[in-house]
Amino acid sequence: MSKVTMKEIPARRLPGDRSPAADLDRMIRVDHAGEFGAVRIYAGQRAILGEKHPMSPMIRHMAEQEDHHLDVFSKLMTKRGVRPTILSPFWDVAGFALGAATALMGEKAAMACTAAVEEVIEDHYQEQRDSLAGSEPELEAIIEEFQAEEVEHKELAIKHGAEEATGYPLLSGAIKTGCRAAIWLAKRV
Amino acid sequence: MAQSKTKDTSDTAQDVTPDEMRLPLMKAALEHVAFDGWSKATMGRAAEDCGVSSGFAELAFPGGPEEMLALHLQMVDEVMMAELATLDLPSMKIRERITTAVRVRLQQNKDQREIVRRGMSYMLLPPHAGLGAKALWRTCDQMWRAAGDTATDYNWYTKRMMLAAVYMSTLQIWLDDSSDDLADTWEFLDRRIENVMQIEKAKFQFRKVKEKMPSLSRFLGRLRYPVK
Repeated sequence: MSKVTMKEIPARRLPGDRSPAADLDRMIRVDHAGEFGAVRIYAGQRAILGEKHPMSPMIRHMAEQEDHHLDVFSKLMTKRGVRPTILSPFWDVAGFALGAATALMGEKAAMACTAAVEEVIEDHYQEQRDSLAGSEPELEAIIEEFQAEEVEHKELAIKHGAEEATGYPLLSGAIKTGCRAAIWLAKRV
Repeated sequence: MAQSKTKDTSDTAQDVTPDEMRLPLMKAALEHVAFDGWSKATMGRAAEDCGVSSGFAELAFPGGPEEMLALHLQMVDEVMMAELATLDLPSMKIRERITTAVRVRLQQNKDQREIVRRGMSYMLLPPHAGLGAKALWRTCDQMWRAAGDTATDYNWYTKRMMLAAVYMSTLQIWLDDSSDDLADTWEFLDRRIENVMQIEKAKFQFRKVKEKMPSLSRFLGRLRYPVK
C-alpha cells in the first residue's frame, strides 16, 4: 500500500528556521519517546491479557520488536548526545494505562488501539523520511526498517478485528488525537 | 600571536576578520578579568592588547562581555573534555568517574580562581543568570557524557541536577581553599558524593519494595480474562 504524503513545509530552509542539527535532535528525541510509549502500551496490554490468551503470542512478538526499536534509539541518543524527553515518567504511566484500559475493554478494542497508534507512527515516520531526504543515511535506514514493522503491526491488528471493536471510529479518533498531541509535546520537551 | 599585531593599529590594514579575533581577544581579556571583571573596560583593554580598536572587539562579540565569557566557558569545557578523554572514565566505578571529572575540572583551573570568581559574580546578576544556568548545565552534561552515562529517561535529568549541586557547592569551597594541594576541597567533594550515594541507595531500596507489591493490573486482567 503506497501512499503519497503532502509536503507542507517549504523545500528550502528559511532564515530563522531551526538548524538542521536542532531538527535532528528533535527527531531522535520524539522517536525515542514514541518507541518508549509503544513499549509501555504493549506492557499494559500484556499485563491485562496475560500469557495464556490466544492473542498473547502475537502481542509478545510486537512488544519484542518495540523493545528493539527503543533500544536502538536509546543507543543513538547516547551516541549523539541528544537530550531525552523530560516527560518520560508521564509516558510511562500514560502508555501503560492506555494499553491496559483498551485491553480491559476487550481484545478487539486492544487491537483498535494498536492500529490507531501504529497508523499515527507510520505517518510520523513518513514525514521524517520526507524531511530528511538523504541527509542522514544512518537514521533514515533505521526509520525505514522500523516503519515497515509498524505497518506490519497495524495490519496484524486490523486482521485480528480492530475495526470490529465497539465504537471503533470514536476510540480510534481519540487515540490518534492523543498520539499526535504526544508527538507535538515530545519534540519540544 | 596577538602581540605581533600591536604595532599595526588600523583595522583596515589587517586581513583578519572579527570572527578570527574572537579567541585571541578572549585570551587577552583573561589578563584583565581579575581586575576589571567581565566588563566593557576589559573588552577595551583586550582590544588594545591585540592591536585592534574597541569597535572591532564589539564586532567580534556583538553580545558584549557576556558573549566573551560564554566563549571562555566553552573553551574551559573543551579543555576538560580533552583531558577526561585520556583517562578512560568508563572503566572506573561510577562515584570515581564523577569525582575524577570534578577534580580534573578544578585542578585545571586552580591558577585561575580569580577569573572564576569574577565570572560567577557576573553570572549571579539577573541579566546574565541565563548564561550561568546554561553553562553549569552544559558542564555537568559534559562530565556525565565523559563518564559514559547511558540514561535516556528522567534519570538523565536527575543525574545532571545532582552533579550541578555537588559541583556548585564544591566550587564555593575551592574558591577560598588555602589548604595544601586543595585538600579541604577534595574532602568536601568526597562528602558530597557520599550524600548522593545515600540517595541512590534509598532509591534502590524503594524499587525493591515496589517490585514486591501485588499488581493491580494483573488482578483486573484475571477478572476480565479468567484463566480457563
